[in-house]
Amino acid sequence: MTYFFYICVCLCLIIFQTAIMPYLPLFDRFYDLLCPFVIYLGLFRPARESIPVILIIGMIMDGILGGPFGLYVTTYVWLFIGVKWMISYLHLGNSALLALVVASGVLLENFIFIGTMAIIAPEARFPANATSIVGVQVLWAIFTGPLVLKVFDYTQKGWNRWYAGRFVKRA
Amino acid sequence: MIVGVVVLLAVNIIFLSAASRRYSSYGIGRIAISFTAPFQEAVTDSIRFVKNIWRYYFFLVSTAKENDDIKKSLSLAREENNRYKELILSNYRLRKLLNFQKNMPHSVVAAEVVGKDSSPWYKTIIINKGKADGLVKGLPVVVPDGITGQIMDVSYQHSKVLLIIDQNSAVDALVQRTRARGIIKGESAGQCLFKYVLRKHDVKVGDTVVSSGLDGVFPKGLLIGHVSGVIRRSSGIFQEVTVSPYVDFEKLEEVLVVLTSPKKDSVSKE
Repeated sequence: MTYFFYICVCLCLIIFQTAIMPYLPLFDRFYDLLCPFVIYLGLFRPARESIPVILIIGMIMDGILGGPFGLYVTTYVWLFIGVKWMISYLHLGNSALLALVVASGVLLENFIFIGTMAIIAPEARFPANATSIVGVQVLWAIFTGPLVLKVFDYTQKGWNRWYAGRFVKRA
Repeated sequence: MIVGVVVLLAVNIIFLSAASRRYSSYGIGRIAISFTAPFQEAVTDSIRFVKNIWRYYFFLVSTAKENDDIKKSLSLAREENNRYKELILSNYRLRKLLNFQKNMPHSVVAAEVVGKDSSPWYKTIIINKGKADGLVKGLPVVVPDGITGQIMDVSYQHSKVLLIIDQNSAVDALVQRTRARGIIKGESAGQCLFKYVLRKHDVKVGDTVVSSGLDGVFPKGLLIGHVSGVIRRSSGIFQEVTVSPYVDFEKLEEVLVVLTSPKKDSVSKE
């Protein structure tokens, strides 16, 4: 059932960011919402539970969005590894550190994307607005990242409570 | 007694007939009016006051309710009006598409855009037509304003379209005025680069760029964009040409997918 919850959350996020957000004037340069979700999994959930989810959402994103197949899987896996590595050194208790982690994640995702573009099409010009795109996304991540992580945490706890109350007692 | 009554009646009649001729109350009327009218006025004003209190204050309870109802129906009317406006705009766009479709020598399938790439680095859209509608990978996608992109992946009912502004996109094109040939490549900023255009060819800002049809994907003569910048360096065999696409990719809602085989009637006409 936990996987069912993860898949539902991911589908909602994917639909929201592909069908609604591109049409909202302020959010057209928002960061990938699955990035904080992967960070959330890395911070608060065990690897055994998270890795299948990360692979599935990476493949879904690769399937429906542009870019070479495997780009999102690669990005999310590296992001997850980075977060796991980070929490072995840092104690992420306060919101400022969470903001830093989400911003770093968004930065890493953009670096991977730009790097992939540079490898695949080396003759292509470096996008003139790349700095502003990355800058705006990082700023969004700093200000909204911790909140998004808290929403994921709150939703998961609520789901777990609901599920335990409904099914575990009866069983 | 009887005589007295008769006399009294006669006097009364004479008085009445005389008084009716003169229409005068001999001042009594004025006194009566002066005496009663203020009371009449006070009572009437009081009644009116009470009536007004009822009408403007107590009655407002129902007016407030009525106001709420009116507000609700106004918002419904606004919503309806907005829906009609959207319908008018959609009708206009679809008519434009239909006219364009009629002029196309190829068979086309109309589709709606249902999703956009959330990443700023890659430019793709998802449309609501797929294998079930005869779509296959590689088919060109157009709108009346010009070329939009190419189908890059097809599921049963949906397809992914690579827009011409994506860096991985390439369209064989030529300048309409001088027939100078090159390849249109996408750029992240929503512009295109017109690559491999020889320095010797005459290309000016404002020139229209159309598809050449030589790539085997896009039919010949479809609009792509206009030249927005030309840099001719002193060395090198090519010039750097920037093209602004005619299609507004931010406002893309409906597209046409060109099926490869031309319409039978247009083939017979030719």
